[in-house]
This record gives sequence, C-alpha cells and structure tokens, in this order.
Amino acid sequence: MAKKVVAVVKLQCPAGKANPAPPVGPALGQHGVNIMAFCKQYNEATAAQAGLVIPVEISIYEDRSFTFITKTPPAAVLLKKAAGIETASGTPNTKKVGKVTREKVQEIAELKMKDLNAASVDAAVRMIEGTARSMGIEVIEA
Amino acid sequence: MATLKWRELSITTWQANMDALSDIFESVGAIGMVVEDPQLIADYIASNSWDHYDVEIPDVPPGMVRLKAYLPVDSRLDERLNLLQHELLARENTEGWSGHTVTFNDLLEEDWANAWKAFFKPEKVGQRIVIRPSWEDYEAKDDELVISIDPGMAFGTGNHPTTVMCIRALEDYLNTDELVMDVGTGSGVLAITAALLGASSVKAFDNDPIAVNVARENVAMNELDSIVKVEEKDLLQGVEEESPDIIVANIVADIIIRFLPQAQQILRSGKLLITSGIIQHRLDEVVEKLTDHNFIVEELISHGEWAAIVARRE
Repeated sequence: MAKKVVAVVKLQCPAGKANPAPPVGPALGQHGVNIMAFCKQYNEATAAQAGLVIPVEISIYEDRSFTFITKTPPAAVLLKKAAGIETASGTPNTKKVGKVTREKVQEIAELKMKDLNAASVDAAVRMIEGTARSMGIEVIEA
Repeated sequence: MATLKWRELSITTWQANMDALSDIFESVGAIGMVVEDPQLIADYIASNSWDHYDVEIPDVPPGMVRLKAYLPVDSRLDERLNLLQHELLARENTEGWSGHTVTFNDLLEEDWANAWKAFFKPEKVGQRIVIRPSWEDYEAKDDELVISIDPGMAFGTGNHPTTVMCIRALEDYLNTDELVMDVGTGSGVLAITAALLGASSVKAFDNDPIAVNVARENVAMNELDSIVKVEEKDLLQGVEEESPDIIVANIVADIIIRFLPQAQQILRSGKLLITSGIIQHRLDEVVEKLTDHNFIVEELISHGEWAAIVARRE
C-alpha cells in the first residue's frame, strides 16, 4: 500500500539483540513506532549474523507503521574480522594493530559497494583503506 | 531508586569516518548508534521508491553525518568518557580525520517498549467496522463489528485512508456468503473485514512472507481461521480454480495496473473489483486501464490525496 513516508531512521544495532533501550527506544519512540514489533522483526532478520553490528534503515509512515531494510555490516567490523583483532588501535598513526591484504580490502569494498556512496569499486576501496588507516590496520600486498 | 539516565553523545563527522567512530563508541561501551545522514534521504528520494513523502532532512553539512550513541549514567560514565576523548585525540593526525566535537545531552529512561501505545486507540473506521488494538478494551455498540489488530509493520493497521475506503466499499457491496479474494493482504485487515461482514470464504494473498505470517496471526487473533486462508503468492499468479464475487486489492497504482489482466481473467461478468492505494494524480490512468480490461467503473471514492475505485466486470 502506498503511504506517506514521514521519517527515515538509520540505526546500527547488534544482530539479533535489538531491545527498547537506546538507541532504538528514543529514536523510534519519538515517531510512535511499535518498538517491540520492530525489535522482534529485526532480531529475526539478523539472527544468523549474531556477533556483528548490522545497520538498518527504518521507513516510518504517517500512520506510524514501518518497514525496514538491513544493510551490510560496517567496514570497521569486517576489517577487524579480516585482521583477526578485537579492538582497533588507539593511536593508529604510531601503533599498528593488524594487517589485511589489498585483496581482502577489495573483497570488503565489493561486498559493501551497494551500501556505500562510492562511484566505483576503486572509490569504495579507498574508503575502506581510509577506515583501515584510522583503526591502525595496515593494508599490505598479498 | 533514582530513574536511570542516559548520556547521549552526538558527533558530526565526515561520512568516511563513520565506521571508525562506530567502532570507538562500541569500545567505550555504547552499543549501537543513530546515524543522521542527509544523503540517505536524498538517495531514497532519487531512487523513486517513495510514492509520497514529507521527510525532514537532518541539518548536517553535505558529506557529513551526525552520529548519536548512548551511555548509561552510572559509576563508570566518567571513565568511559575519558576513554572516548583519548580515542578521539589519538586519531587527530590521521589522514582525513579532523577535530570532532562531542556534544552531550541527558535523557531519562522511559518505558520505550510501551510509550508508543498512547498513539493508538479504538477507531470506528467504517459504518460498522471498529479497529481496536489488542490492549484496549472495546464494547461493540449496536451492529458494530470489532477487529483486533496491533499496529506494527507497514502492512495496514486499518486506519489509513486507502484501507478505510476499501472497508467502506466492502460494507456497501459485499453480500453474505460471497467468496472474496484479498490481493496484497498485508496485515490481513481487509480479509478479516470481509469475513466479519459475512463472506463465506476469503482467500488472502501476499508476496511478502513476513506479511503472510502477520496476517495469519491477525486472522487467528480474530478467530476467523475457518473462513480466511492466507497464502504466499504474487498477486493472483496461478489462481484459476475459483471465481470470486469480489476481489479487493489495496496496493499501489503501478501494481494494480500490472494485475488487471489477471483480474480480468478470473472475475466473471458482473463481479466486482475494489481497488485502492491510488494517489489522486494516478487515478485517471488506472480508470483508463480498467476500461481497457473490460471493467465498468461503478463508484469513485476519494479521501484526501487518495482514491479508491469500485469496478464491475463487463
């Protein structure tokens, strides 16, 4: 059914574990959305990706009903997984905490391509490399 | 016991830094965040996926996003905020990273899980049909028929103008013991309406498996399982064996136009198609296509910017 869209809320939540606490509660509560229904549907949709943070875009309509689409996990999450590290470097300029191959960066860029505002895969690769730099992850040739 | 408070941390940053910041938030214990991104809204508008919108665009400079994360105000808050400052400063000289200012705002814990319910009350949407959220008591007066539906996913909770017009058309045109098909049933509200109004059998279809589940739950909540059957199906694809007295389809103009050949084939002469979800400026086009497919328009109904059509098969 066609309805007037009155708001779009973008959130990042842990897969399978959304609950009414912030950020979900205040972000959706102000629009009168059924928060428990959202959490239930989001958790069902993301259950298989437990452990990752999954971005979600929620469209809210004039009758306070909603639809949502989930996106690919943030590059930082994928980079940490690829580098096999738990946390990023606190001083990325001086202290490198992990390495990923250029090939892996390319793979992440391709996976995230549809969700990034990048004009080409090369541009997406540069964005992922930038994220890696700010986390203290070195990009190396294979 | 003091009410739990949350400290909202708000940072405006370049889009490219978003992931790294999300990672920093997570490392200080703020799980999850809100992303306010004007580009996101612009992309939705450019994609033409919205028929109709009135969306506020975040006041963030182009290319930037505002991120909001939340920490509980407790004994560890200062330690976490110090760590956050440290993490942000540490990246100051990284390429593409520029000074981030964090602004703070306190908010009180609310009953977010239930507060939204205040927006929903029982509502008489037709001559007889009343929609009631399951947590509200409502006693039917006179010949009223009460449907219990909880608001949630955008599958139709009964009070949208297009649904209201379809409900009223069903009240006007449906006779007892008729066979009804509801195409794009969503929450099942129209199928349930048809059953309450006396249809002997209602077939409800939707191509979205989540909608099919929600519709089945709603049919069960209204104890109409014996009359309403919900199936996952793309429009009327493969429906041949039975010919309904009424097809109701509350979708959107483009999809209605797409399924007219199917409706033409399945409806016998004199039978009805009730259709809505049509924005006023597309009405003439849908009427023209109906005529092309041997339908005679019986009634045009409008409600604000929306239209519904009752058409009879020639």
